[in-house]
Amino acid sequence: MDAISLENVSKSYESVNAVSGVNLNVRPGAILGLLGPNGAGKTTAIRMVMNILVPDSGSIRVFGEPVSDETRESVGYLPEERGLYPHMQVRDVIVFLAALRGLSEAEANLRATEWLDRFELGEWADKKLNELSKGMQQKVQFITAVIHRPPLVILDEPFSGLDPVNATTVKDVMLELRNKGSTIVLSTHRMEQVEMMCDSICLFNKGRNVLDGDLRAIKESYGKNTVRIEFTGADSFLNLAVIAGVNRFGSGVEAKLQPGADPQEVLKAAVQSGARITRFELLEPSLNEIFIEKTAHA
Amino acid sequence: MRKIRLIIKREYFTRVKTKAFVIGTVIVPLLGMGFFLMILFLVNRQPTHSYRLAIVDENGALAPSVVQALDRKLSNGRQEFIITKTVDRPALLNDVEQDLRAQVNSSSLDAFLLIPRDLKQSVEVHTNNFSLIQPLSAAVNEALIAQRLSDHGIHVNDVNEIVQGAELKVMRVSQSGESVEKGQTIGVAIAVVILLYTSLLMYGIITMRSVLEEKTTRTMEVLISSVRPFQLLAGKILGVAAVAFTQFLIWMISLALLSSYGVVMAKMVPGSSFSGIHLPMSLLIYTVTYFVGGYFLYSAMFAAIGAACSSEQDAAQLQWLAMVPLVFCMVIYSLILNDPSSTLSVVLSEVPFFSPVLMVLRISLQTPPFWQIALSLVLLLFAIVVVIYASAKIYRVGILMYGKRPTIQELFRWLRYS
Repeated sequence: MDAISLENVSKSYESVNAVSGVNLNVRPGAILGLLGPNGAGKTTAIRMVMNILVPDSGSIRVFGEPVSDETRESVGYLPEERGLYPHMQVRDVIVFLAALRGLSEAEANLRATEWLDRFELGEWADKKLNELSKGMQQKVQFITAVIHRPPLVILDEPFSGLDPVNATTVKDVMLELRNKGSTIVLSTHRMEQVEMMCDSICLFNKGRNVLDGDLRAIKESYGKNTVRIEFTGADSFLNLAVIAGVNRFGSGVEAKLQPGADPQEVLKAAVQSGARITRFELLEPSLNEIFIEKTAHA
Repeated sequence: MRKIRLIIKREYFTRVKTKAFVIGTVIVPLLGMGFFLMILFLVNRQPTHSYRLAIVDENGALAPSVVQALDRKLSNGRQEFIITKTVDRPALLNDVEQDLRAQVNSSSLDAFLLIPRDLKQSVEVHTNNFSLIQPLSAAVNEALIAQRLSDHGIHVNDVNEIVQGAELKVMRVSQSGESVEKGQTIGVAIAVVILLYTSLLMYGIITMRSVLEEKTTRTMEVLISSVRPFQLLAGKILGVAAVAFTQFLIWMISLALLSSYGVVMAKMVPGSSFSGIHLPMSLLIYTVTYFVGGYFLYSAMFAAIGAACSSEQDAAQLQWLAMVPLVFCMVIYSLILNDPSSTLSVVLSEVPFFSPVLMVLRISLQTPPFWQIALSLVLLLFAIVVVIYASAKIYRVGILMYGKRPTIQELFRWLRYS
């Protein structure tokens, strides 16, 4: 049984097709990265799974049950547009929401302390929410989404506004939850985070699911068609016909090859052009490249 | 049930702990009472300093009578008017007038009277202090009338005796017997109307704001992932009700303390009718009963309006929907005050949206037949069920809708959503 399944789901607002004919199955116990450019329909899809929006057509199931007010109670949810009672104290908000999600107040208090310490918010526990910075509020909100260890966690842009240290903590928490059996769906623009932690991805573009599946399998299907070259000297060899596109970095380039091209030819041309090569590596395409390819030309 | 309890608890404690609650509970009634006392003080205040007055009498006969009519003492024993000078038939009227005017302008004189030669012409009061007009004109009138009466050979005291009216003592007949009526029944009735109107409006708007806050701060989306909309609505309404009761309890206790103190104080003030006020227990019970009913009716409507809007501004534009019946009660209540058992009064007080105010008004004036009270309560209960059902539907759709304010037609469409 899938944690979430969408069957031919469509939703349009006035004149815009936000989501059209989407099919998607989320395997339980996996982390799914929901990717796509702004306005691709990710948030709409999430809100339909949360039964906040009702699809125009198609069916959505959560753990086999059609979505309803009951199914959303099994979800830990971090909405894209977020906010909490601004005049309540941090600890009170966390305990209140945790208690609503079924924890006893004693247990909720205990866990709140643990979580606040983990996110270095311990000394802010008795402050009001509107006294906290945006990033800190974000951490509080993340805590409220996971404190009751829900079987399904849906996080809409969990990393936005977080510094690298806190982003890493959030990532670690997600991996922990996954290891304890929770299913996690996260929507994000941070490709490197997705590559690090997601088991599978789903790529949305213009309301459609243009690519989904196991991340490893997707990358392998693209083959090792990219070379990373670090060098000093002239870069005229990059005009070679077998090179389809070049992505420049400070220390070198990533060159994407035409299908069926031999990477050896690039190396030969580079040596002949007199460039001093310090690194030459065959790579799978980065998620970033797959993202750009799938969304730019569609 | 557990979730509703949690929501009530949160709603209650976050509200009771705010400064606004403390201010609303303690300071506002104190301020109100302060204003009331200040007005009483100002109205009853006696002037403490004398006025200086000059009289120019062209006629030559009236001045002594005016002086006599103005012969009054202030509470501190001083003369209320000091006649600085009386000019009898001046030769150079203009010079005298100019001199007196200069004295008024330099504040060494408060006013001067100009009595014409022909008493059919107008008497002039020259002053810059308008509080003098009334006592001066009264004195001039009194002097004139006395003068004319004595011209006819009648003594003014005889006339006063003749025109003295009868003293009317009003006894209020009610089921608990008779009591002396000095207007306190009307006073209590108006106080009850105002109390019910303001508290229904106030707590309704508090409920609306509370719903709106969860929307504008986007807390709603998180909440809704753990509770049903109906639980949220019920918790909210009951939570604010608990706040209302706390507030009422504090007021009642302080009122009881104050009034027992006040009665003692009032007995020391002559002419006070405070000691005559007694609130029948039944009126208190009915007031509370109808307040509770009205609160559920109105706060459910206000909550639905809060849910339908996305900002305070939108809500301010839509809240009249729930306010109209309450305002109507305030407009119409004097009709019922005049005739509490007319057909119109009876019909209006049975309508559920009005009965929380108007039926209590009727009860405070004269107890209506019990079947009328029972019927209005049944109708009220029925209306509460219908309104809460409809509000819950609007609420369920509204809480997660953002964007432009819905029209009234759209609200009705939301009612039909499953």
